[in-house]
Amino acid sequence: MELTTLAIVLLLALLGILASGVWIAIGLAIVGLIAMVLTTNIPIGGVLATRVWDSAASWQIAALPLFIWMGEILFRTKMSEEMFRGLAPWLQWLPGRLLHVNVVGCGIFATMSGSSAATCATIGKIALPELKKRGYDEGMALGSLAGSGTLGLLIPPSIPMVVYAVTANVSVLKVFLGGFLPGALVMALYSGYIILWSLLNPSKTPPRDPPMSFLAKIDQSRKLIPALLLIALVFLSLVLGFATATECAAFGVVGALALAWWGGTLTKDGFYESVMSATRLTCMIMLILAGAAFCTAAMAYTGIPKALAEWVDGQNLNRHTLVLALTVMYIVLGCLIDGISMIVLTAVIVLPMVEKAGFDLVWFGVYLIIHVEMAQITPPVGFNLFVLQNMSGKDTFTVAKAAFPFFLLLNVAVVIITFFPEIVLVVPNYVFPETIKIK
Amino acid sequence: MRSTLDRLYLWSGYAAGACLVATLALMMFMAVGREFGVNIPDGTDFASWTMAAMTFLGLAHTFKRGEMIRVGLLLEKLSGRPKRVAELFALSITLAFLVYFTFHAFDFVRVSRMTNEMSNGVIAVPIWLPQLSFLAGAVLLTVAVVDELVHVLRGNPLSFEKPPPKTTEELLARVAEGGGV
Repeated sequence: MELTTLAIVLLLALLGILASGVWIAIGLAIVGLIAMVLTTNIPIGGVLATRVWDSAASWQIAALPLFIWMGEILFRTKMSEEMFRGLAPWLQWLPGRLLHVNVVGCGIFATMSGSSAATCATIGKIALPELKKRGYDEGMALGSLAGSGTLGLLIPPSIPMVVYAVTANVSVLKVFLGGFLPGALVMALYSGYIILWSLLNPSKTPPRDPPMSFLAKIDQSRKLIPALLLIALVFLSLVLGFATATECAAFGVVGALALAWWGGTLTKDGFYESVMSATRLTCMIMLILAGAAFCTAAMAYTGIPKALAEWVDGQNLNRHTLVLALTVMYIVLGCLIDGISMIVLTAVIVLPMVEKAGFDLVWFGVYLIIHVEMAQITPPVGFNLFVLQNMSGKDTFTVAKAAFPFFLLLNVAVVIITFFPEIVLVVPNYVFPETIKIK
Repeated sequence: MRSTLDRLYLWSGYAAGACLVATLALMMFMAVGREFGVNIPDGTDFASWTMAAMTFLGLAHTFKRGEMIRVGLLLEKLSGRPKRVAELFALSITLAFLVYFTFHAFDFVRVSRMTNEMSNGVIAVPIWLPQLSFLAGAVLLTVAVVDELVHVLRGNPLSFEKPPPKTTEELLARVAEGGGV
């Protein structure tokens, strides 16, 4: 069969199978199966079993369940209450006042959680009612929360980053490290927008809470200190190269357990639930990874990714044109499917292309994660929108509209890291000096 | 029969959870032990096997709890008979694939056993032993899908279909269970 026809047949098969409601992991494997039946005579079952086993039997991937577990433990602590109380006195002076608690609170929680929904829900359950009580603009409160919640994905640890790193066969640690500065960049963009907005709409910002003495502020933030220590510990061990990503995740779990125990929220039931939730979430993601691993192998036999990469190369596309095309594709995809599926579905085709075009795969990972962030806040399928819709009782349209400026800010972040890839690469290159490859 | 199957999924889920705890313990022993010059022989091998066992043993439980994801955009628009047909279609395709997959998982472990393949580490472990979790997981997941298919054929909706959460507490519980990364 000619390559173009084959590619179209496979694409249609993929769309058909996924749309019919077959579980994503299974659908990917089936498409791989079809591809191999059509193009090779080597024993398919053997390839399938080997790929699936290899994708799960790896100690590097053990970082995934451990980071998930760490997030699950912290989600069950009283962190969210402490976060609002602890941060509020320090952010009063900024234009926009307590709206910044959303940004900073999510940013801090994101360093402990790899999930956007958990970050959004944790900070939101306290911040939303508190902001409403004080009379803050509801649209801004919702929008900033929707946008900031997605920091859970960009600031390591991050579940989709692990998924990407494994799919693209790059170091989990490097992608994690690459997320730090872009995470800070996105926070700065969000806070900058909030400041600008409140300067333009001074009537919509309620007066500040009564001032407190410095010591009173410290006292109110006291309970955040152990959490900040945990973060510092986990990340110093990452940046100083003291531990592998997996070991770091293990320290994180132990630290989170200690924190929960210290705060008196570690119960037997809570522990059991955190283990089982982490197990299920891991199993779900692992099956997708296994399906994707087989599909990737099968696609390599067809030669489609290579041909496509060469075609793109032959077009002499400007690198920025390629990024623009991919950006449009990911925004559309992000409206329709969830982030993890988006990563594994496109990886087979897109990765050889961007590698050929000379992009660093660590940089591309961070770029892709920002798109996964956008996917969380674009309707009709955006989980953060769904979370906030439920918490605020507003309809999808209102929440999506509130989140729209923050969606645009994420696009600004994409533009910035495209023109200044160093923002992503400087930290991983500092920690791993042997792999300097900024093009 | 019903309760036996449910217990089977649940206990394999527990076994997967135990593997997660074991993976943590192994990683901690390795990281802390290294500082004190104590080496766990083949720690990374064992960690990769507990990781695999966790993945495969937990599949059936995860499936039955409705936490495997799929694209719901079209399915959510359907109701009544068309919805039933769509669910049966998805389950049948999934089942057909899993039967094929399980057969090859069996073959994979059989070949490892026959060729007596050993792990590369200091402690040579016959590799088919940890691979048994692979086979067990594939069989369990296939059983769970057959179970679900029969359930739907009898005229029921999917056993794990949940209505969207109404209160914030329900939502938080759902997020805690890993709904929506």
